Amino acid sequence: MSPRLRLFLFAAACLCLVPAVISVARHMPMFGDHPMPYGDAINALAPVQRHVSNMISAVNFDYRGFDTLGEEFMLLCAVTGTVVLLRGTRGEQLSARPGIVPGQPILLRSPAAVLICRIFAPAIVLFGIYVVLHAMTTPGGGFQGGVIIASGFVLLFVGEGYEVWRRMVRSPVLAACEGLGATTYALCGFASMLAGHPFLQNFLPFGTLRDVFSGGLMQIQNAGIAFAVAGGFGTVLLEFLEETRAIKPDDAGPGDGT
Amino acid sequence: MTLLPWLVTAWLLAVGLYGIVTSRNYVHLIGCVSVVQSATYVLLLAAGFRWGAGPPIFYDHPPGTPAVDPVVQALVLTDIVIGAVVTAMLLALALQIHKRTGTLDPERLRPLHR
Repeated sequence: MSPRLRLFLFAAACLCLVPAVISVARHMPMFGDHPMPYGDAINALAPVQRHVSNMISAVNFDYRGFDTLGEEFMLLCAVTGTVVLLRGTRGEQLSARPGIVPGQPILLRSPAAVLICRIFAPAIVLFGIYVVLHAMTTPGGGFQGGVIIASGFVLLFVGEGYEVWRRMVRSPVLAACEGLGATTYALCGFASMLAGHPFLQNFLPFGTLRDVFSGGLMQIQNAGIAFAVAGGFGTVLLEFLEETRAIKPDDAGPGDGT
Repeated sequence: MTLLPWLVTAWLLAVGLYGIVTSRNYVHLIGCVSVVQSATYVLLLAAGFRWGAGPPIFYDHPPGTPAVDPVVQALVLTDIVIGAVVTAMLLALALQIHKRTGTLDPERLRPLHR
């Protein structure tokens, strides 16, 4: 099919759909002024039932906790897929060795850039941990905090360069974080079954409202998610950065997976 | 005014699909897939919005004050994280395609023969 014909078909399909879209938009509920039974129920019940003040975490880890387990494993699958796709042609044992790209000189970074990165990389990781820990009280949680922690790793790379970065950020550690985080979440579910409750039933003491350690089992699930997200994003970053270097001729040993 | 969020959603979906249809580069195409995905964020957040309501976090205002819908926000939150890693996986695929065939143009790509 030629691009021109495809574009024509797309335009025709859009023209056919325009009246339908406008009709649907006109019959949607009034924007910002319609009943929200589920949201209102959670806003009313979660502070009383679960003693947490962040409703989004309550939905994610408790009321919709089983769904988040599925999303957790989607994350795991996507990260695994990325790693398999990138490592497949490169070989696994090479990924632990730092290298340089031939023909690309390593530019010296200015001391100011190194200093700023050295100040802000730990600060950002610390901020990520703060966001993770305050999941039950203020905006934040394992998903957001994990991504913030992983972005601290990028700043480490910018400041310290590839070789130092590879010595500081270890691939097996990130993989263990990812896997153990996902396992922790699943084990939370089985732990409540062992205690004689339904899967993922929040059976730990809930604590007091607006306390950092409120929420019971949600705290452990949140920590698992944080480890999984930080490990997963870190792994993806590491594999893509690893891709930027060419393999040295003596690297390509037998069994490198090609 | 009340139509605006739904029309923005439809527009984002349409421009994303237009980009996919006319794309000549896989990296561009993956960006367009993200645009299509962001249409769902706008739709979900608009569906959960309420005039004059605060965030669904009862830390500095007591429980019981009007708040927007937390269910859709939780959906969007996980959606964004999953979307980011799925985009990473698609980019990894594009990288391997470029390594094998030397092109990222969907028009010039032929089925792989080993």
